Amino acid sequence: MASLDDPGEVREGFLCPLCLKDLQSFYQLQSHYEEEHSGEDRDVKGQIKSLVQKARKAKNRLLKREGDDRAESGTQGYESFSYGGVDPYVWEPQELGAVRSHLSDFKKHRAARIDHYVVEVNKLIIRLEKLTAFDRTNTESAKIRAIEKSVVPWVNDQDVPFCPDCGNKFSIRSRRHHCRLCGSIMCKKCMELISLPLANKLTSASKDSLSTHTSPSQSPNSVHGSRRASISSVSSVSSVLDEKDDDRIRCCTHCKDTLLKREQQIDEKERTPDIVKLYEKLQLCMEKVDQKAPEYIRMAASLNAGETTYSLEHANDLRVEVQKVYELIDALSKKILTLDLKQDPPPHPNTLRLQRMIRYSATLFVQEKLLGLMSLPTKEQFEELKKKRKQEVERKKILERRAALEPQRRLEERRSDLVSHATNGEVVSLRGGPAPLRKAEGWLPLSGGQGQVEDSDPLLQQIHNITSFIRQAKAAGRMDEVRTLQENLRQLQDEYDQQQTEKAIELSRRQAEEEDLQREQLQMLREREREREREQFQAASLHTRTRSLDFREIRPFQLEPGREPRNHLAHALDLGCSPAQSSAAPKTPSPSSALEPIRLWSGPPAPGQEFFPQSTTSQHNEVPSLNPFDEEDLSSPAAEGTASPPAAEPPLGPPACVLKEYNPFEEEEEEEAVAGNPFTSPDSPAPSPFDEEDGHPPQRPSGPPVPGSPFEEAPCTNPFEVDSESGQEGEEPIEEELLLQQIDNIKAYIFDAKQCGRLDEVEVLTENLRELKHTLAKQKGGAD
Amino acid sequence: MNVVFAVKQYISKMIEDSGPGMKVLLMDKETTGIVSMVYTQSEILQKEVYLFERIDSQNREIMKHLKAICFLRPTKENVDYLIQELRRPKYSIYFIYFSNVISKSDVKSLAEADEQEVVAEVQEFYGDYIAVNPHLFSLNILGCCQGRNWDPVQLSRATQGLTALLLSLKKCPMIRYQLSSEAAKRLAECVKQVITKEYELFEFRRTEVPPLLLILDRCDDAITPLLNQWTYQAMVHELLGINNNRIDLSRVPGISKDLREVVLSAENDEFYANNMYLNFAEIGSNIKNLMEDFQKKKPKEQQKLESIADMKAFVENYPQFKKMSGTVSKHVTVVGELSRLVSERNLLEVSEVEQELACQNDHSSALQNVKRLLQNPKVTEFDAVRLVMLYALHYERHSSNSLPGLMMDLRNKGVSEKYRKLVSTVVEYGGKRVRGSDLFSPKDAVAITKQFLKGLKGVENVYTQHQPFLHETLDHLIKGKLKENLYPYLGPSTLRDRPQDIIVFIIGGATYEEALTVYNLNRTTPGVRIVLGGTTVHNTKSFLEEVLASGLHSRSKDSSQVTSRLASRR
Repeated sequence: MASLDDPGEVREGFLCPLCLKDLQSFYQLQSHYEEEHSGEDRDVKGQIKSLVQKARKAKNRLLKREGDDRAESGTQGYESFSYGGVDPYVWEPQELGAVRSHLSDFKKHRAARIDHYVVEVNKLIIRLEKLTAFDRTNTESAKIRAIEKSVVPWVNDQDVPFCPDCGNKFSIRSRRHHCRLCGSIMCKKCMELISLPLANKLTSASKDSLSTHTSPSQSPNSVHGSRRASISSVSSVSSVLDEKDDDRIRCCTHCKDTLLKREQQIDEKERTPDIVKLYEKLQLCMEKVDQKAPEYIRMAASLNAGETTYSLEHANDLRVEVQKVYELIDALSKKILTLDLKQDPPPHPNTLRLQRMIRYSATLFVQEKLLGLMSLPTKEQFEELKKKRKQEVERKKILERRAALEPQRRLEERRSDLVSHATNGEVVSLRGGPAPLRKAEGWLPLSGGQGQVEDSDPLLQQIHNITSFIRQAKAAGRMDEVRTLQENLRQLQDEYDQQQTEKAIELSRRQAEEEDLQREQLQMLREREREREREQFQAASLHTRTRSLDFREIRPFQLEPGREPRNHLAHALDLGCSPAQSSAAPKTPSPSSALEPIRLWSGPPAPGQEFFPQSTTSQHNEVPSLNPFDEEDLSSPAAEGTASPPAAEPPLGPPACVLKEYNPFEEEEEEEAVAGNPFTSPDSPAPSPFDEEDGHPPQRPSGPPVPGSPFEEAPCTNPFEVDSESGQEGEEPIEEELLLQQIDNIKAYIFDAKQCGRLDEVEVLTENLRELKHTLAKQKGGAD
Repeated sequence: MNVVFAVKQYISKMIEDSGPGMKVLLMDKETTGIVSMVYTQSEILQKEVYLFERIDSQNREIMKHLKAICFLRPTKENVDYLIQELRRPKYSIYFIYFSNVISKSDVKSLAEADEQEVVAEVQEFYGDYIAVNPHLFSLNILGCCQGRNWDPVQLSRATQGLTALLLSLKKCPMIRYQLSSEAAKRLAECVKQVITKEYELFEFRRTEVPPLLLILDRCDDAITPLLNQWTYQAMVHELLGINNNRIDLSRVPGISKDLREVVLSAENDEFYANNMYLNFAEIGSNIKNLMEDFQKKKPKEQQKLESIADMKAFVENYPQFKKMSGTVSKHVTVVGELSRLVSERNLLEVSEVEQELACQNDHSSALQNVKRLLQNPKVTEFDAVRLVMLYALHYERHSSNSLPGLMMDLRNKGVSEKYRKLVSTVVEYGGKRVRGSDLFSPKDAVAITKQFLKGLKGVENVYTQHQPFLHETLDHLIKGKLKENLYPYLGPSTLRDRPQDIIVFIIGGATYEEALTVYNLNRTTPGVRIVLGGTTVHNTKSFLEEVLASGLHSRSKDSSQVTSRLASRR
């Protein structure tokens, strides 16, 4: 037994062949088997052996497959028969290659240059400002000229015989002109003019930018700042009518160039094209999607898994919201696509290309992300999922606790063994401190696990216990104890063998006629119940004799069997209700909780009583059996409250079909998951929380032929289907939404396909679109 | 050591650093190729890069709402274009990345042109090579040598490419080169010179075993590029030609419009990635599976979508379907064309004889087979010439060499003179006189035994018996047995341990067969990573052009004529 102790993590393999409970390890499986199915055929033992082998094989296979998977994912799907080298495709990613920045150098050079440039521009603008600072229209030409000459010294006419720009000789006909900004000379042809509005624009803009400029060369400007504003406004108001140079300022090409560049800069600073605005909106939407979509996916995944963390309505709202954003993205990108399209002249091809690309990438985005949006379950489905989930959680919890329990139990066994030599009082005082806490934690699983472990054949359990006691005693070197224990063990084993032969017959029958055994099962239940009661008496007597241990310490193992024969029904109820009670217990690990169990076991506790009336009634209706566990089972679906009486009807029938699903190697998740719920929501209307727990116990002792517990069926039985039907009305709008969404999708595809020129696809898609629209219309009609 | 990843990382970094907003990628001719090898359009679109422009394009509009990412080679030309661009900026802000070392004076002139302060970044990102596969890079230089020596322009390009590769992989290697090749030595020296000059750049974390750069010359193995290939990637290149992952299918009879040019990239084509190293037969069956799979998913025209579930399923499957449909049609077309060419050109038979010529030493049988094939009208003049070339290379000094007879046969077959002339040119290029090592007859006992055993057992696949000479070289190198008298170290220091990270560069071009060899070596040799590079990646045609361009045939009078004709054909 110990040799089989395999602490491996692979759970899937260790399912009990009889009750299909998932056990964590070989050790647990084996002990579980011996505890629970002790009365059953020895053949079963053979079965379990083969099962263990199967499990091992499966495990190996799984591990191997995992290995392959890893290798496969590692080689990105390349055929992977690696001989130790590494496929270049999976060389570990290296860091970014070497880089070298020239930015600081660049900036240094640029700064020098910019300083020069800025000084140049500012000089021109200051002069321009001076030139426009007076009312040109109302000033005499001579005066203007004087002012102009004062702004910048004019180059001497004699010094420049030729136009420096075009090289023409100056003469009477081609006269010299002076640039008012730099004072240089050019011919009329090469002369440029700056209009007053432009001058104003430049000067006022430079004033605006003053505050932002840091260049020291600009500081002189600031002196004129305020004055300039008022003056320029005056000049802009002044009427410009005459054809003289009143409204224009002569300058050379170079100065004009510089100023025009400056103007361009100013313009660009102010202008944001439509496309940018739209694009910003588009990006905002995409960001929103990036934010919301994962949230939604999380919700949907959770809902689809049947969790109740999020509400379906909320998720639906979110979905609608996300979809709206998608629509907006679609609309925006379409708008970008058609931007300025009808303008005259048509925009530059590059602009169009840009627009097309933005639209294309938006389409890609929508396609990629939208399809990542999984659909929500309908209300109906959701209920179903919730149920499933609950079962899963239930089972998982049980498993977890059992796993947690395992070491503790061993510890406790050992301890109890040790303390069995001490007096009771000593034990209590010894354990006073830590014990309650541990029990508070451990009590729950104990009772939960107990449901499975304990009220199976006490014989086997006893055998198991004694074996471990022997082991411990041996370890402790108490040979006399070992001897007594061994004798006990022999007795137990004899009993066990006898039991097994009896069970063998049943098992074979069971396996043969699994499908339609209901009647016979009931019959058998009764028979076996009597039989067992007798056996248990014996076992109990044995038990009491062999173990004079402290009840409180090893309560789960000892107390119960002792009680069982006397108060079978009460015991069953205990089992049933203990999870309910325990749901409260673990949260209050106070010393008092340590006492609770005792009270619990000493009589049917309150929650049990609540169940009691219900269960008895249903019991009387449906299963007039003596097996108290069955009634518990029945009561649960009924008590769960989704609630139609027929729900409880086939407690034994459905298991047959469940059974088929129970491939021990595939089921792990469900198996585990179905387990845990009683602790979380014992009173929720969903699947019967006690399924698993109660399901197994009644079967085993009473030996119904079906390995699957009848209670796992509960979710499949009617109450929930009824429920989901009622939920169908609510589902309609969702479907409509779905339709709308699909229509949108297909539209996007059509667009896409058209872009790619796949005309045949376009056709198919259009057909589908029509179809969808038709359905939508029909639905709408129906809804109205 | 993944070169594709290295370049991709550079590009990603550039795009990331420019922040959010619409972007345009300004490139030159070469960097366009470099980027396109590692990024697909849709991939780069997702990073808000919507336009791709050439820096030399005159037809660019002012779009101040775009940010410009400039990824350029640091050539004089590009710097000039960039100066013009900065004087009158078309975009709001410029992030400038040079693919290699740029001179300080160029940085200065750029800085002085940036009067409007539009430049936000000037960096060197060393993605200066074409990353073909994770372990294969190319410089896309055709005709790197003049005679036996480097074309100076190409030497500097090769030096830049190799040093950029080293920098992008952060390797500061020891260098070995093929002694028999003057070009190899020259390049090794140039690389070393750059490493010395830019020692600051090459300061990386020291690894226990320093990386190794091995520089080889194509003329040591002229056989490999002359053989027909049967693995997917190599075969596509041999028969259709791969140019920066693009395949021109416009000459395929009855080709549909959107398949005129297809892209085969292992980065985003799963089928290709899974099959590029498989042989033709395997691809045939894989493509069949792909087709069947596709047929199942294909929405039938008449298939009514009756329930909402149907529609949902359809919509959800559509993108996948569409993607698949692209893949399927592409590969079906490519493989279909390959098999058409194989049967049209009688390539199975040709290849069998090629392999015999390359791998076995039975002169009379080889001669007989070549003669037989030359009579076959289905064998194209191109294949006929390559058979004769292989014969000429292998049995160059054989006592009963009957090359003149074969040349007669070629003439009788009506093979044009330019091709016939090429035979002697190839021998000139890669003949015994040039080779530093023996291609055909094994020297050491192990190799002899190996060949003997091979002869005994027969070969599993007659079409793929040939192992490139590179395999042996690398094998020796990995085992630390590569002879120093044939492949000396540059400089005094030598590698004491077996090398781990190896970069092999073949002057005159690598081949996809060699890429496969390196791929397999990587997979089978623990602890060793090998990257293969070449001035280009050759198929037979491009190899012959390379040979022509080397000008070795200059002894014959009308060589220039041939060159120009060949060039114009290109």
